[in-house]
Amino acid sequence: MTGAWRIGSVAIACGLLAGSITLRAAGAPGPQAPAPAVKPAAEAFSDDVHAKAGLTCESCHGPKKADGGYAAIARVAIAPLCARCHADAAYMRKFAPQVRVDQYAQYQTSVHGQQMAKGETRVATCNDCHQSHGIVPVRDTRSPVAPAHVAITCARCHADPARMAPFNRSPEIFNEWSKSVHADALLKRGDRSAPTCSTCHGSHGATPPGADSVANVCAQCHVREAELFKKSRKAEVFAALGQADCLVCHSNHHIAPPQASWIGLDDKALCATCHDESVAGAAVIKSVRKGFDEVLAAIASAGQVLDRAETAGMLVEDGKLALHTASEAHVRMRVLVHTFTAPPFDDVVKEGLAAAGEAQAVGDAAMDELQYRRRGLAVATLVILGFLATLYIKIRRLPKVA
Amino acid sequence: MRSWFTARLPLAELEAAIRHKTVPQHRHSIWYYLGGMTLFFFLVQVVTGILLLLYYRPSSAEAYDSVQFIMTRVPFGWLVRSIHSWSANLMVGAAFAHLFSVLFLKAYRRPREVVWISGVMLLFLSLGFGFTGYLLPWNEVAFFATRVGTDIAGAVPYAGDTIVRLLRGGPDVTGATLTRFYGVHVAVLPAITTALLGLHLLLVQYHGMSVPPSVEERAKRENRPVPTMPFVPHFALRDLFGWTVALALLAGLSAFLPWELGHKADPFASAPAGIAPEWYFLWTFQALKYMPAHVLGIDGELIAIGAMSLGAMALVLLPFIDRNTARSRTIVTWAAIAAIAFMTTMTVLALTGGH
Amino acid sequence: MPIRGHVPQSDQPAGRRSVLNWLLGTWSAGVLGAIAFPVLRYLVPPDIPEAPTLSVKGGAASTLAPNSARIVPFGSTPALVIRTAAGDLKAFDGTCTHLACTVQYRADLEHIWCACHNGHYDLNGKNISGPPPRPLAEYDAHVQGDEIVLSRKA
Repeated sequence: MTGAWRIGSVAIACGLLAGSITLRAAGAPGPQAPAPAVKPAAEAFSDDVHAKAGLTCESCHGPKKADGGYAAIARVAIAPLCARCHADAAYMRKFAPQVRVDQYAQYQTSVHGQQMAKGETRVATCNDCHQSHGIVPVRDTRSPVAPAHVAITCARCHADPARMAPFNRSPEIFNEWSKSVHADALLKRGDRSAPTCSTCHGSHGATPPGADSVANVCAQCHVREAELFKKSRKAEVFAALGQADCLVCHSNHHIAPPQASWIGLDDKALCATCHDESVAGAAVIKSVRKGFDEVLAAIASAGQVLDRAETAGMLVEDGKLALHTASEAHVRMRVLVHTFTAPPFDDVVKEGLAAAGEAQAVGDAAMDELQYRRRGLAVATLVILGFLATLYIKIRRLPKVA
Repeated sequence: MRSWFTARLPLAELEAAIRHKTVPQHRHSIWYYLGGMTLFFFLVQVVTGILLLLYYRPSSAEAYDSVQFIMTRVPFGWLVRSIHSWSANLMVGAAFAHLFSVLFLKAYRRPREVVWISGVMLLFLSLGFGFTGYLLPWNEVAFFATRVGTDIAGAVPYAGDTIVRLLRGGPDVTGATLTRFYGVHVAVLPAITTALLGLHLLLVQYHGMSVPPSVEERAKRENRPVPTMPFVPHFALRDLFGWTVALALLAGLSAFLPWELGHKADPFASAPAGIAPEWYFLWTFQALKYMPAHVLGIDGELIAIGAMSLGAMALVLLPFIDRNTARSRTIVTWAAIAAIAFMTTMTVLALTGGH
Repeated sequence: MPIRGHVPQSDQPAGRRSVLNWLLGTWSAGVLGAIAFPVLRYLVPPDIPEAPTLSVKGGAASTLAPNSARIVPFGSTPALVIRTAAGDLKAFDGTCTHLACTVQYRADLEHIWCACHNGHYDLNGKNISGPPPRPLAEYDAHVQGDEIVLSRKA
């Protein structure tokens, strides 16, 4: 071939490559996750936080091309491009004095960042989560990385079997998390403090926490449980086994509401995974389970009688307060399970039973009072009936009028 | 001992008057008891109301809690409160029954026009008692029912907003409304009622019990006087019988169907579904719902209020509208039946969730 | 016009009539007693003279040391009564605004903490860290004699 042909064919190949990379960068989503609305870039940019800060298309894309369009940015170049400003503390201070500037540094430690550095472009970079042109602050409820949307954004890749297969990762995680108490709190109750993907995995430095750091992650909110667990015998046992602490019983993504039935030595119980009757702690396991069963039964029974009394028109505020105390004791019991010993747990069981007993007593007293009122009414009615009968006779015996 | 009192108080004259009082006995005599029954319920309200006054606190911050206090901590407070609420409803029911029985028996004819007018006023007063008293526990239902009820007054042209402000003690239903309704309920209305009731009862004693036209005509035809029974002891003991049955009924209702307290009012919460006034206002409430928004350019609600006001005025002036001819009396009877049918239908529709 | 009727004397034997009257008298006394008994009992004020949802006693003031707290019931919810390190008395609704656990006072942190999910509140009740979305409601705390009295803020 002549030189001109060679250059031409290379140019065409580059153009095709650039075109395909641009298409890839646009991030066609997988079949499972919802696709973000794709607006034309110029229109989307008008609502962008960068536009409001005075940036233009040229700021990121460079000068306009001869044909009026802008050059696409290669995927591996995106993060360094964003970092040009977002890692520059002096520059960012002009727009938001308190904003962090370590996102790129964190990204480079993450699995995504490390893969991207090796040239693997099928992992997330800045615009996959934050979008390219209509970028709004994280606080904005429209942002794909607002707390309620984070999981869905991650799921665009992580719930897509086709995208996960090359990396040998499970695409089921989003489904599992969606069934958890955390998803319930975040999405159904609107509790913005409930953990989503980034809470435990990090956002820019996204990496699954290692087995020895899981407990620290959960401890961000579940302080007491973590403290007690670390001081208990299980901590060293699990460390020796190389097991991630909380996960063994609670799982990592499908975190279900804990049940009393998890504790015990029967087939359905979690303890039975490792323990049987012969172990020294068998008695503790059984007594803890018994404590839960008794307190829950007492709370249920007291709750029932208080409901009945209230429906019958009795006001039972004292009883409800005692029941609230008993429920709190139950919560404390669930925390103290993590000591895996009898003493502090048993004391709270006693408190819970006492409070539930009080609530039951108030409910029973209310029902008794109801019976007393009805008996009192019966007596009063009898007296009135006696009076009416006598009065009737008197009226009948009145002298007849002409 | 007795002579000490008779020398200073007109006891002998009173005793003689009571002993001479007689009550006509005929087919329709049973209706004579309704007036006394209404009076009995009113007296129960006065007694239980005074008892409640000892513990109730008329401020928006404390009202609900004080009623709850009465119902849970004061001995027999539950009984006093439930009786007060039930007796209020039974009093209004008895008042309406008394009104219609008087209407059908034409007891408003000359010379009893003033008795009738004072009676209709007393009915309106009892509705006022019901409306103001309903708010006092400051619970959710009462708060929103009061808001809706006072809103209606705003439909009156020109004076509407002023009327609403006067009723509510401000533009909205607030603690000021509660204080105002409390003052009206325990002082203003009782004062006016005492005066009118005194007049009403005095005139009833003065004129005696009216005899329906049909009984009068029959007596004239057969040339026999209408038989009577002495008030004391015959009628009085029967009256006492009825009152005791009513007392037993109140006690039974309080024990088996105690009056609810519901939830404390939260002015910033949205109204719960199904807010409705007490049963004796339901017919107006439902009728207003059926009015179209505008009729011939005039606000529909205003037309309904106008119609009801005309009806109320016609009721007050009934003795002057009825010419006391057989035909005139028949028209009044049928008009009353139509009114009862309308009110009953509206009430049933309201209760069964019709729209 | 009222028509006067003729009332004849009673034609019953005197004994029968007086027995009946006696019975009537006794039963009426019973009915009046059945009415009077609740009314009289009602008039006697109960032991707790005010609704425990309007104001409650918060325990002895002298036994509440600085930098410590106690929980007392207020209506059907717990109230947290704090004596700050500076000696001031503060009281809050002890129900955490996150998931309704009962909060506690941490003497080491000198502020309020919720053990359930690590929520923190400052001594004005403001939520300063962790999941709680709203501040704690504050109560008025006064000392009468040696008794702390809590009441809802006006």
